[in-house]
Amino acid sequence: MDPEDDQAPADPLALIERERANLVRHIAPDPRLMYWPWGFAWLIGFTLLFLRYGPDGKVYVNLPDWLPLTVLMLLFIAAGLVTGFAGSRSVRRTSGPTSQAGLAYGLTWSIAFFGFSVLYARLANDLPDQQAGLLWAGGMVALTGALHMAGSAIWQDRQLFVLGAWTSVINIVGIVAGPGWHSLIVAIAGGAGMIVAGFLGWRRLR
Amino acid sequence: MTDAPELDPVIHAQARLRVVSALSALREADKITFPRLQESLGMTAGNLSVHLRKLEDAGYVEVTKTHQGRTPATLIRLTRRGRLAFEEYTAALRALLDPGAQS
Repeated sequence: MDPEDDQAPADPLALIERERANLVRHIAPDPRLMYWPWGFAWLIGFTLLFLRYGPDGKVYVNLPDWLPLTVLMLLFIAAGLVTGFAGSRSVRRTSGPTSQAGLAYGLTWSIAFFGFSVLYARLANDLPDQQAGLLWAGGMVALTGALHMAGSAIWQDRQLFVLGAWTSVINIVGIVAGPGWHSLIVAIAGGAGMIVAGFLGWRRLR
Repeated sequence: MTDAPELDPVIHAQARLRVVSALSALREADKITFPRLQESLGMTAGNLSVHLRKLEDAGYVEVTKTHQGRTPATLIRLTRRGRLAFEEYTAALRALLDPGAQS
């Protein structure tokens, strides 16, 4: 035991705040790992989609037709692995209601996206390319927005609600604007929104 | 006016105040694994154990030995009594530092 262990603390209130913040930082997942992989996946993937499948069938850059969606899917899988790994590591640091909620929340994302992918795969071949693309992208972004808003209720995190609401609104705007525009709006406003959320969350914990 | 509030001697010691403060950041009923707590506090395992035992003796902390898969794990949480003692401690502290603010 260190000799100063039993001494009265010099500035107890500062000590209390420091240790509380320290602990939260040690058990919470790094917000950068939770948001940035998705932010960059949206930014890069949807930008490629916009360049190849612009509004009214316009082709800005003549990429191979399979490329944008393949890149988007690969980036999504990579992002899912990173956040799944970071999230599950955080869940194992504690035990109890919060850890249970984290597990349920993580599984909800996976199951919801899987369910939507099955629906999409079933319908995609019967729709024109542009409509199928909008169904896929619009549905995924709608799910993301809804899950972020639900997440804010679980974690009592207002910032997460703002992110979810923002994502939902730009999705609606994009869907109304139509195929092509949707990709551009989601790439810029949605991707940037998550990158900003990751940065703000990280700064708050630091 | 002159009856200054007593500071709980179990908590009013540098190392144990740090432990209790860290644990108070968990939600009630949540437990943290020993290595995570140790890492957060930057204490040696032996030192942390000593202080946890004192806090456990006072009924402020609950230490549970369990298994996570096959690996044995030690989980720690602040008991309701510990949380209450911590809240009283911080209230007493604030009253001492700023007696005028007392209602």
